[in-house]
Amino acid sequence: MDDMIKEYSDGYIELKFGPRWKYIAAARGFIQNFIAISIEDKGKADKIAMAASELLENAVKYASGEETQLFVYVFPETGGIKIAVINQATPKAAETLTEIYKKISQKPPMEAYIEQMKEAATREDGKSQLGLARIRYEAAAEIDLSVSDNSEIQITLSVN
Amino acid sequence: MNKLEIEAVKQENVEISISDMDDGTIITITGDIDMEDPSSLLDPVFEKAHKGTLEKKMKSIILDLKKLAFLNSSGIKAIAKWVMKLSEVPEEERYSIRILHDKATTWQVTSLPTLTFLVPGAVKLD
Repeated sequence: MDDMIKEYSDGYIELKFGPRWKYIAAARGFIQNFIAISIEDKGKADKIAMAASELLENAVKYASGEETQLFVYVFPETGGIKIAVINQATPKAAETLTEIYKKISQKPPMEAYIEQMKEAATREDGKSQLGLARIRYEAAAEIDLSVSDNSEIQITLSVN
Repeated sequence: MNKLEIEAVKQENVEISISDMDDGTIITITGDIDMEDPSSLLDPVFEKAHKGTLEKKMKSIILDLKKLAFLNSSGIKAIAKWVMKLSEVPEEERYSIRILHDKATTWQVTSLPTLTFLVPGAVKLD
């Protein structure tokens, strides 16, 4: 993550873990607590923890390497929060995620979420592909997705 | 056993119980739904509730989520899948789904209202 962000943040955590499903609930609880004590806004802490949980679920589902990195920065003066999740994925998984990101970004958050929900209801492959749309709508988050040449995925959320 | 003969589910972090009410069924889910594939747990319950309610011409299902602490997007998909089945049923034969939620639980306040937009008039949130 950008050192500038670190410098202007009043608090941050960085986590690295092997992409295992069983760690997600623990990370969600930890992030919720960290944000709740940083900005004293339980509702926002809950939304960000949900968003982080969805991102980590994505990371575990799409990971092809062993290390998933999570960064959370808080800006108590403005109540802003920035989260980034970085993981290595297969080229196909990176392509799928990029397609979902582009698709949901073309419509207002609620409309995109409901549309994605209707589409999810018809899927029989066990995937929901709902996570990004849910985060964008429910956490009122700006989402940025970047994929490097070697299919490393970075998803950044900004919430004011 | 309830009228629809749906078996209760009890797992480490989640419990699903089913009980009868006049002209309908109450499905209560408690705990956390944050497993990788909640559809394997939820789909059979919702499928049996859907088919049974239509067969017995009952008019209502209450989905009580007040004590559900967390629901991931795969769990939302499972509920959406169930709700969308109602769009395939002629309007005069449909039953209603009433979702009970806890206004103090953030995700319930932000997530659950969106389910009411899937099939107009089919889902109510209390």
